[in-house]
Amino acid sequence: MSERELLPTATGRRTASAVGELLRPRRLLAFSAFGVLTAATGVGLLTAPLLGHIVDLVAEGSTDFTLPVVLLVVVALARGAGNAWGLALVSRLGESMLASLRERFIERALSQPLERVELAGSGDLTSRVTNDVAVIAKSVREALPELGRSALTIVLTLGGLALLDWRFLLAALLAAPIQLYTVRWYVRRAIPLYAHQRVQDGAQQQQLLDTVGGARTVRAFRLTGEHVERVRERSQTVVDVTMRAVRLMTRFFSRLNLAEFVGLSAILVAGFVLVGNGTATIGTATAAALYFHSLFNPINAALALVDDAQSAAASLARLVGVADLPTEREPERPAVPVDASVKAAAVSHAYVAGHDVLRDVDLDITPEERVALVGASGAGKTTLAKLIAGIHRPTSGSLALGGVGLDDLGHAGTRRTVALISQEVHVFAGTLAEDLRLAKPDATDEELRAALEKVGALPWVDALPDGLSTMVGEGAHRLTVTQSQQLALVRLVLADPPIAILDEATAEAGSAGAKVLEKAAARALEGRTGLVVAHRLTQAAAADRIVVLDAGKVVETGTHEELVAANGRYAALWAAWSDQRE
Amino acid sequence: MLPTGKSVLRDAVSGQRRLLAGAAFLGSVHQGGEALVPVIVGIVIDQAVSTGSVGALVRWIVVLAVVFGALSMSYRFAARAAERASEQAAHGLRMRLARRVLDPRGGAEAGRLPGALVNIATGDAKRVGVVNTVLPFAVAGFVGLLVSAVSLLRISVPLGLLVLLGTPPLLWLTHLVGKPLERRSSVEQERAAHASGVAADLVSGLRVLKGIGAEAAAVARYRRTSQDSLAATLRAARAHAGHDGAILALTGIFIAVVALVGAHLAANGSITVGELVAAVGLAQFLLGPFQIFAWVNGQLAQGRASAERVASVLAAPPAVTSGSGAPAGNGAGRVRLRGVTHGSLDALDLDVEPGEFLGVVAPDPAAAAHLLDCLGREADPSAGTVELDGVAYTELDPHELRGAVLVAAHDADLFEGSLLDNVVTVSRDVDRALTASAADEVARTLPDGVHTLVAERGRSLSGGQRQRVALARALAADPPVLVVHDPTTAVDAVTEARIAGELREVRQGRTTVLVTTSPALLAVTDRVVVLDGGAVGAQGTHAELVHANPGYRSAVLS
Repeated sequence: MSERELLPTATGRRTASAVGELLRPRRLLAFSAFGVLTAATGVGLLTAPLLGHIVDLVAEGSTDFTLPVVLLVVVALARGAGNAWGLALVSRLGESMLASLRERFIERALSQPLERVELAGSGDLTSRVTNDVAVIAKSVREALPELGRSALTIVLTLGGLALLDWRFLLAALLAAPIQLYTVRWYVRRAIPLYAHQRVQDGAQQQQLLDTVGGARTVRAFRLTGEHVERVRERSQTVVDVTMRAVRLMTRFFSRLNLAEFVGLSAILVAGFVLVGNGTATIGTATAAALYFHSLFNPINAALALVDDAQSAAASLARLVGVADLPTEREPERPAVPVDASVKAAAVSHAYVAGHDVLRDVDLDITPEERVALVGASGAGKTTLAKLIAGIHRPTSGSLALGGVGLDDLGHAGTRRTVALISQEVHVFAGTLAEDLRLAKPDATDEELRAALEKVGALPWVDALPDGLSTMVGEGAHRLTVTQSQQLALVRLVLADPPIAILDEATAEAGSAGAKVLEKAAARALEGRTGLVVAHRLTQAAAADRIVVLDAGKVVETGTHEELVAANGRYAALWAAWSDQRE
Repeated sequence: MLPTGKSVLRDAVSGQRRLLAGAAFLGSVHQGGEALVPVIVGIVIDQAVSTGSVGALVRWIVVLAVVFGALSMSYRFAARAAERASEQAAHGLRMRLARRVLDPRGGAEAGRLPGALVNIATGDAKRVGVVNTVLPFAVAGFVGLLVSAVSLLRISVPLGLLVLLGTPPLLWLTHLVGKPLERRSSVEQERAAHASGVAADLVSGLRVLKGIGAEAAAVARYRRTSQDSLAATLRAARAHAGHDGAILALTGIFIAVVALVGAHLAANGSITVGELVAAVGLAQFLLGPFQIFAWVNGQLAQGRASAERVASVLAAPPAVTSGSGAPAGNGAGRVRLRGVTHGSLDALDLDVEPGEFLGVVAPDPAAAAHLLDCLGREADPSAGTVELDGVAYTELDPHELRGAVLVAAHDADLFEGSLLDNVVTVSRDVDRALTASAADEVARTLPDGVHTLVAERGRSLSGGQRQRVALARALAADPPVLVVHDPTTAVDAVTEARIAGELREVRQGRTTVLVTTSPALLAVTDRVVVLDGGAVGAQGTHAELVHANPGYRSAVLS
């Protein structure tokens, strides 16, 4: 098996320009969000000078505080309203950009050739669509507004300090080198540490799922001691890593405390000097000190978010990488199949050069014929199924569906012509009807019921708490493996392609379920050309023709009776299944 | 005594009391220090800036440095101690939960999905632990409150009372404003999270979608979900923004009131200008401790609810009672069921002779499951007895019993580790087991052979590969009595035929029960028993039954 080839990740520049592309149609929104938030923050900064003014009034011996106090109240109200409005605008901007991006991501991800996704491992795509989207969403929801607001407060407060007296600004900026250094120091350690922490959390989760989900097996094999030890190890690692993260964070805040002290003392000393030489009033010095004191929280908040921002940027690059993937190339004028035949001529295939999985396979299936593939694992049954379904292209030889080569048919045409139902069962989360309508979006309830009836699934569907509207899939009503696989066959009936391939579609169900599924599969294949990879020989015996594969080659082919009479491999297998023996 | 929510929470806290006491003390020092910063700023304004005294300036800057040093260091170690207490308590709970779930007597998983149990062991254990993080902060917040109250009252009694008595109603007001918004937003955020669930679901069903050409329909569905979720998120975001804005406005007004009263007091000389500055600073600071109380309250409520969930697992009644005996080391491996009634089994009598290779056909899948439950002692029958070599199951310790009778379930899980790690769990003769189950062929197709890592509980292997590895594990354990359920349903006919022959040979002389309807496997058994209506309906060799029993033919061959 070859190395995993992960899906692409966008470069920093491409990620930035992708954000630009998302931002462009929302320019107006972006400007108003920024404007409103700036105005609100600016108004808020009037609080400190107004308090300073009150101090000055007291120092002058005046008692008329009405105006500054009323202004303080007005400022509070304006600031509150402005912040609420501005934050709502920022959320709208961020969230709608995220929605566009995730929609494009899913569109591109689902349209990638299966071969490409499998090369990367399906976990790659899943982790991008869950973890990376979650990281970005969290940033957009929590970090972005906080960061924006804090950054604006900092910039405007520093501006306010400069307005009071440029020397106050200078004093405040003495803290900046310490802060910049601290952030660099922190980010360099935090990003790998938090990534490590997430991995360890995941490992613990996986171990617990292993142990708890397999509790019965653990007990049966008396592995309790070993598994408790495994859980302890994982859990202890999580504790250790978390404590490392806590130590890092507390050291980070300690350093920021130092910056706070340096800045605050500098401002006080500056106030002392400026009041002393008469260039500033006590009120101004007070305002400057209050300004700086009120910066403690926004600065800490903004700096602590830097690592969030960095992980969000990394996640964004992984999303953009997939969203930028080209879609499949379609032929200019796709050919139309003339019938439902399948023709494979001298087909060979190798996943790794030199290791042929299939060798010179010729197979002709006439319209509506039912062919069963029999052979040991590794004989090439699944590979042949995938080649005919157009998921892989053969290394050599040619494949035609309805007399048209797969390349002329195009990807969309191929999928309309042939369906592949594999042993992988997946019930899509949502109502049962929604699941089925993936195969035929405009199907009426009557059509759905007819399709269910056809494969014999209607009785149990009607017995579900809400029938077709029952919520199924992850976290909802759990269907049995047999029921889930029956749904796959219902989807086949609804999608209604002329050719269908069932690859071990009955394998995961127990022996009782397999029989139910065999009947269902036979009904679902009615009126179609069918290629069935059969486990149970009864399924093979019911086919029009049986093809026995061994080590990538067709070794026997014929009807059940012919092969039994020939006394070859198939006949030997059949012996246990027949009642002809004594 | 059975654990309750209260006892779980109490244990979690009292187990970490040293760390908690340390964290509470240091946290208080930190809060006190934070409260002193505005006070010192006021003093500097009063005694240095207003008077021009360099000595006073230097003195108070040094004091400020000391206060900063103290508050910084105390926060650092308080946070560490509190987090450690929290993490250790959570770890302790996880271990108790793991031990309870794996207890040989079982019963903890009853009625709970594995995912839900894992959530209790991670999320709920963590939330109980977090109580340890918040308690020291609650103490510290109280100390901060006390320090600022004393400072304020020393500055001026009326001003102090205004701030102290004004803050709780202010916070209560913001709470009132926030409550409906918070409630609405949590519902909406849940709906928002749904979009990510749908996306992951579609991606994990990618092969199924591709198989029937349903990509376009899936994209259209996702787009709708994404837009619904966007609308919900925006409603939630607006609610949050409104809440934040309201808090800002209310705080600002409160500060204005404090400034107004303080200014009048300063104007008539009751307080100094510096004290006015300190009072305004303290009013701002005081919001902190009160917000901490609200937060602590919320966390405690969550911790209590989580502790209840943890306790419900710990206190789950065991599925079977435990005897104290151990099966004889050199037992013959005779299993006897007498009048066993359990689920769909109805007064079942069954004898498995030592060394016999017995096939059991249960046309009703429930009967097969219930038989396996009784044989593996996952459940005790409601009537009747199961005996191993003449000793009743109930007299044996379930853990010891499973050393003699191994039930290999149809859907047996593999564990993280290499293919080989999974097979050598108990035993010695691994090579023979690997060949007999055709797991050696599985290994040959994997990149690193038997050393290939098995991920996601074996889901990285195909169904047939997983079954063969699981079978190899059961064979390698080499128990005196082996019960195997449908071991080859996902294995191709060619390989199944090979396994059937090998299986018989490997188990030569040891008792083996095969619960299956596969003719290839049944053909190699000594005797086949057909369950009908929960009791033995027919028995004989596979060939005899195939020949003479139409019911058997339809159950096995059709």
